[in-house]
Amino acid sequence: MGRMSHQATPPRSLAEALRARDDASLGALLRARPDLITPVPTDLTQLATRAGTRASVVRALERLDRFALQTAEALAVAAEPASYQVLLGLMAGDEGDPAVTAALPRALGTLREQALVWGADDRLRLVRTARELLAPSSQHPSPTGLGPTVQEATAGMSPGRVQEIVATAGLASTHDAVSAVARLTKLFGDRKRMAKLLAGAPAESREVLDRLVWGPPYGQVTADPAARLRWLLDRGLLLPTAPGTVVLPREVALHLRGGRAHRTTEPLPPPLEAAAAHRPQVVDATAAGQAYTALATVEELLKDWDEGGPAVLRAGGLSVRDLKRTAVALDVSEPVAAFWVELAYAAGLLASDGEADERYAATPDHDEWLEQPAAERWSRLAQAWLTATRTSGVVGGRDAKDRTLSALGPGLDRSAAPEVRHRVLSLLAGLPEGTSPSAESVLARLGWERPLRGPQPDEGLRARIARWTLSEAELLGVTGRGALSTQGRALLGAPAPKAPAPEPEGPGDKLPVHHHAPPAAEPLSPAEQATAAAAAARVLAPLLPEPLDHVLLQADLTAVAPGPLKRPLAEMLDVLAEVESKGGATVYRFTPGSVRRALDSGRAASDLHAFLAEHSRTPVPQPLAYLIDDVARRHGHLRVGAASAYVRCDDDALLNEIMADKRAAGLRLRRLAPTVLATQADPATLLDGLRAMGLAPAAESAEGDVLITRAHAHRTPPRTPPEPVPDGPPVPDATLLTAAIRAIRAGDLASTAPRKPTATAPATGGELPRTSSAETLATMQAAVLTGETLWIGYVNAEGAASQRVIAPIRVEGGFVTAYDHTADEVRTYPLHRVTGVAELADD
Amino acid sequence: MNGPLIVQSDKTLLLEVDHERADDCRRSIAPFAELERAPEHIHTYRVTPLGLWNARAAGHDAEQVVDALVEYSRYPVPHALLVDIAETMDRYGRLTLSKHPAHGLVLTSTDRPVLEEVLRSKRIAPLVGNRIDPDTVAVHPSERGQIKQTLLKLGWPAEDLAGYVDGEAHPIELHEDGWALRPYQKQAVENFWHGGSGVVVLPCGAGKTLVGAGSMAQAKSTTLILVTNTVSARQWKHELVKRTSLTEEEIGEYSGTKKEIRPVTIATYQVLTTRRKGVYPHLELFDSRDWGLILYDEVHLLPAPVFKFTADLQARRRLGLTATLVREDGRESDVFSLIGPKRFDAPWKEIEAQGYIAPADCVEVRVNLTDSERLAYATAETEEKYRFCATTATKRKVTEAIVRRFAGQQILVIGQYIDQLDELGEHLDAPVIKGGTSNAQREKLFEAFRQGEISVLVVSKVANFSIDLPEATVAIQVSGTFGSRQEEAQRLGRVLRPKADGHQAHFYSVVARDTIDQDFAAHRQRFLAEQGYAYRIVDADELLAES
Repeated sequence: MGRMSHQATPPRSLAEALRARDDASLGALLRARPDLITPVPTDLTQLATRAGTRASVVRALERLDRFALQTAEALAVAAEPASYQVLLGLMAGDEGDPAVTAALPRALGTLREQALVWGADDRLRLVRTARELLAPSSQHPSPTGLGPTVQEATAGMSPGRVQEIVATAGLASTHDAVSAVARLTKLFGDRKRMAKLLAGAPAESREVLDRLVWGPPYGQVTADPAARLRWLLDRGLLLPTAPGTVVLPREVALHLRGGRAHRTTEPLPPPLEAAAAHRPQVVDATAAGQAYTALATVEELLKDWDEGGPAVLRAGGLSVRDLKRTAVALDVSEPVAAFWVELAYAAGLLASDGEADERYAATPDHDEWLEQPAAERWSRLAQAWLTATRTSGVVGGRDAKDRTLSALGPGLDRSAAPEVRHRVLSLLAGLPEGTSPSAESVLARLGWERPLRGPQPDEGLRARIARWTLSEAELLGVTGRGALSTQGRALLGAPAPKAPAPEPEGPGDKLPVHHHAPPAAEPLSPAEQATAAAAAARVLAPLLPEPLDHVLLQADLTAVAPGPLKRPLAEMLDVLAEVESKGGATVYRFTPGSVRRALDSGRAASDLHAFLAEHSRTPVPQPLAYLIDDVARRHGHLRVGAASAYVRCDDDALLNEIMADKRAAGLRLRRLAPTVLATQADPATLLDGLRAMGLAPAAESAEGDVLITRAHAHRTPPRTPPEPVPDGPPVPDATLLTAAIRAIRAGDLASTAPRKPTATAPATGGELPRTSSAETLATMQAAVLTGETLWIGYVNAEGAASQRVIAPIRVEGGFVTAYDHTADEVRTYPLHRVTGVAELADD
Repeated sequence: MNGPLIVQSDKTLLLEVDHERADDCRRSIAPFAELERAPEHIHTYRVTPLGLWNARAAGHDAEQVVDALVEYSRYPVPHALLVDIAETMDRYGRLTLSKHPAHGLVLTSTDRPVLEEVLRSKRIAPLVGNRIDPDTVAVHPSERGQIKQTLLKLGWPAEDLAGYVDGEAHPIELHEDGWALRPYQKQAVENFWHGGSGVVVLPCGAGKTLVGAGSMAQAKSTTLILVTNTVSARQWKHELVKRTSLTEEEIGEYSGTKKEIRPVTIATYQVLTTRRKGVYPHLELFDSRDWGLILYDEVHLLPAPVFKFTADLQARRRLGLTATLVREDGRESDVFSLIGPKRFDAPWKEIEAQGYIAPADCVEVRVNLTDSERLAYATAETEEKYRFCATTATKRKVTEAIVRRFAGQQILVIGQYIDQLDELGEHLDAPVIKGGTSNAQREKLFEAFRQGEISVLVVSKVANFSIDLPEATVAIQVSGTFGSRQEEAQRLGRVLRPKADGHQAHFYSVVARDTIDQDFAAHRQRFLAEQGYAYRIVDADELLAES
C-alpha cells in the first residue's frame, strides 16, 4: 500500500480527488468498475466524468454490499459535504454502535475506492449522480424511509405561513423566510430542545409521528385535519407537500430515530451457518464417488445418443419428449437430465450436427475426451460448468415471450451464473474443511453482498442460481455431503481456508483504500483456470476407483464387475451380456440373446470362452460355458442373404460347367447348394448371359412354374376409350323430328299470316334466306350505306329460327345494329347468327 | 474403503462373500435388506420400502441402516440413497394402531398432516369411525387387518401396538428326547415370539414343522394350523405327536373328509376356501374356539380368500412358514401387512454348510427331440406345445438311464402329465401316485417307500407339498407346471432332507432342447440358481453313452 503524493489543498472535485490517488488505488477502482476503461479515457477528468454517468454509477451501486450501500444511502440524506462524524452518527445513531464504528471505515473505503465518495473526512461528498439516485424524493422513496428536509418541504410555502409555524414552535420570528427555515431546521436538529417541544405533544400526535418515523414518511390528511394532526402541522413537525398529503421532515424523523438513518444496519456479513461437519476424507470420498457417477452418466448419455441423438427443434433445443426419454434412460429426474445434457454441451462433448435433418450428436472432442484419464475428464466437465453462462435450472421455464425454454435451446444464458457459482463455492471454501453450510445462510450471505436487484427482470435470479449451484456442485462431485471437497477447492484455485480480509488502516482521504478482495473471490483467468483444473484432476485421481480388469462369473449366469472396468473389457461385456444393475459395481446377465449378439458381432464361441477365462477371477461356471456353446451351435444354422435371381438344375454337372465357364464371370454366380446357383444380376440378364453361353434356360415364376416366353408386347394398364366430342347436336329421332316439324309448320303458318305492311313476306315463303357469311356482311354494309331494308334469317340463342326485316344502322365487331321492323325497335344481332340476307323484293 | 459391500444405484446391495468382513456385513444388513440372490461369489440384497419397514418393525432405526451401509460399503454411498432410506423409514410409525381404554381400537398419528392425508383416501374412509381428537380416529376392530393392508398400499404403514389376545390356554411342551431344536430353529422361534407375529423363511427340509412346534410350546394355547392338503395335515399331526406332549386325541383334522375341532386343529386351505352358493361355509372354524396362535404353512401358497379371513384375525398371533417369500402373484406386501414382517431367514447354503440339509447336485439333462417329433412340435397348437415337448419319448430313455445309474437308492420320478407318468411307471416297474390315488393307498405307498420296500416311486404334482420322504436321494423331474419357480424349489426340497448316511442328493431335470420346455426350465431354475444351487447342464447323449 503506497501512500499517495502529498497535497496541501483538499480536492475540489472528483477529478482532483482521482488525480491525487496513486496508481494502485486507481487500479483498484478500475478493477471494481471495468466499465470505466471501455474505451480507455484520455485523462482523469474524462475518467471522473465517466465515473459520474448514471449507467456507470447504477452499475457500481448494484455491486455494493449491503453495508456499503447503507453507508451511501446515509450520505445521501446528510447535508453536503458531510463530515465523518455526521456519517457515523447517521449510521450508528446517537447511542453509537461499536460494530458500525468498526465497520464504517471499511465501507467508506469501498465507496471511496469505487469513486462514489470523494473528499476528506471532514468534507465527504457523494458523487452527484449517486446522490440523485439514493436521496429520497417523492418519486423515489429512499430505503432509509426518510422524507425531504425542512428546507425542501417548505420550498413552496408562503413566508407568512412559515413565520406562523416558527412562532408556534416557540421560536422568535425573523425577517425572512430563509432564516426562519434555518432556525426551524436548527431546532429540529437540537435533541434537547426537540425533546422539550415533543414533551408537550398530545399522546395522539405522538402516535402519528411513531407511525411515520420509519417510513414511508408520507400521510394523507383531509381538508380539515383532526386536532392531533393540526398540532403537528402548526409546529412544522408535519409539513404539507401537496393538497391532502403531509410529510414528516427528515430532521424530525432523525430526531425520533435517535439519529439513525437506518432502522437496522448490517455492518457485518451474515455468517455461514454450518449445517453439518463431516470428516474431510468422507467429503472427498463422497465427492469422488459422485464425480465418478457424473462421468459415467455423461458417457452413458452420449453412448445413448451415439447412433443419432434426438432431433433439434426448429426453434433450437431438445423437445420435452426427448428430454423425458433421456431422463428415463439415465434414471434421473428431468431437471437433472437437463443438467447433464447442458453440461455435456457446455464441455463441448455434444452439439447439433448441422445436417438438413438436424440432430444432436457427440463431437470429435468427445472421442478425445474419452481417451483421457478419468480425473482429467472430470476436471474438464467441472471447469466447463464453473464458467458456463448457460444455466440448466431455467429449463422448463418460460422466456419473456412466453416460449418454453428447452434444454440445449436458446435463452438459457444467464450472465450472472459464473460469478454466482464462483462466489458460492468461494463461500464454501471459506469454511473449515468438511463443513457444509445451510443453503439459507449461503443465500443470506449472497443477499448481503449484492442487496440490490440485478439488471435481470426476474426477481431473485441470483438466489435461484445459488441454489442450483449447491445442488449441481453435489451432482458433479465438486462438493460431497454439501461440503467443498479438496478437489473442488483446487478447482477454485483457493489454497486453504483463509483469514478474514484485513481492515483498512484508518480513515482519511489521503489513505489510498484498496483493500483488494481475497484471490478466491476473483474468478480466474483462463490460464489460471487451466492450472486449477489440472490441480483438481491431480487431487481427484487417487480418489477415483482404479479400473479393474476382471469380473466375477457366477453360475446364475451373471457377471459382477466389483468396480469400474477398463474400457475394452466394459465394451466387450456390454455386447456379450445385458447390464442388470449399475452403481459402484456393474451386474451383467448373460442371456441367449446377448450371447447371440456377441456372435453376431463377429466373435466365435472360442473367442468368448477365452475372453471369459481371461477376465474371470474364478473358473467359468459350467452353465455359462454351456450357454455359449448352445447358442453358438445354433448360431448361423440358418443363413439369410439377398439374391435377385437363381439358377437351379437337377444336373450338378451342368452347374459345375457353368461355374467353370469364363463367360459366366460377369454374372457373379454363387453356388448355394449342389443344384442351386444365386446371383445379384436380374433374371433377364441372367437368361441372356446363359443363352449367350449356348444354354437353353427357362424362366421360372415366383411359384416355380415355367414362364412361357413370347415376344414382348407392351400394353397400357386398362384404359377407357375417349368420349366423342360432337360438333353439333345429335341426330334427332323420329319423335323429335315429328314434333319439330309440327312446330315449324305452326311457325310458318304464323309467319305467312297477314301482317304489318312493312314486314314484307319473303318471296320464297317460309324458307330462311341463306347466303355465305361474306355475302351477308357485304350486303349488310351496303345496306348501311344505302339505308335499305333487308330481310334476314336469324337463329336466336335457344336455336329458334325466325325471319326479320331490318334496316341496318351500323355493322361492327361481328354485330349488326339495325332497326327491326318486325319488332319495331332498334336491336343488335350477332352476325354469325344471321343465316342469310336478302334484299326485299320491290313490291 | 475396502468393505465387502457395493451399493448400487438401483438400491441393490452386492455382498462379496469371500471377503473377510462378509459375515459381519451380512448380519448388519440382513434386518433391512432382502436376500435376492445368493450365488457363489456375490450375493445380492435388495433394499425395498417393505424391507425397511420390516426393520423398523423389528426395532431398527434409520441411523443403524445408514451406518451399516456406510461402514461396509466399498465405494461412497450416494447421498441421495441415504436420504431416501431415512425418509422411507421415517414413514413407518407415523401412524399407530393401539387400544384405547374408552374407544377400543384407534389409529393415532404423531404427524397430523399424514393422518389428514390418509383419512382423505377413499379406501380408508369406510374403515374408520369417529374422530376422537385431532390426532386420533377410531377404527372398527374388525377392520384391523384391512386398514393395515390399505395403509401399507398408501405408503404409510401403521405400527400395530394393539397387542394380542392370549387365547384359550392349552399345555404344550416339546419332547426333546434324543433330539433338540437346532440353533437356527431356536432363533427363529425366539424372533417370532419377540415380534408377536411374522414369517419365518427356511429352506425345504430345514425343519419348519419344528419351528411351528416350538412356537406352539411357547404360546401354550389352542392353535389353528393351516396347511396345503390332507397329506400334509397328516404329516403335521404325526410330527406333533412325536415331538410334543400333544396326544392324538388333542389334535383334530379339519379337511374334506373329517371335521374335527380340537385344541390343536389342522385345517387345509382347500376346505376353507370351498364356496357354496357364494359363501364360505367353513369360516366358522376361525371363531369356533378362542385360538391363541394361528400357523400358516407354506405362506407363499396362501390362497387369496385366506388373506381376507386373516385380515379379521389381527388380534391373534400369526406365524407364517415358508421356503420362499417369492409369490408368483406378487402379493408379498399382503403377507407383510396381514401375517407380519419377516422375522427370520437363513440362506440355504448356510444351513447346508451347517449340515442340516443335504448337499445337492443339480443337473439339467437336455434331450433332443427326434426329427419327426420336431416337425410335430413345430406344427402343434400353442397351448399343446409344452405338453408335447415335455412328454417326448426320449425323456423316458433318459429317465431309465438315470434310474439304472442310481439303482438301489431311493428315487422319485416327478411329472406333470399322467399319461407320461403311467408310461414311466410301466417301464420302470414302479407304482404311480396321482390325483386319483386314494389317501390310504398313498400313505401305504409312502410308507413302503420309506421302509425301502420299493425304491422307485412315480408321483404327479399331488406330491409337491409337504410329504416327507426322508430317504429319497434322487429326484428326476420330467415335466412341471410350466415355469413355476416355487414348484422347482419344493421338488428340490424333496431330496434336501438330511440323509442318514450323509449321501449327496441328486436332482435331475430332464428338458427337451430348443423348445419352450427349455425356456420354462430356465425360469424355474433361476430361483434355485440364485440360492446357490447351480445346475450343471449335460446332453442326454453323453448321459446315455456313460450308462
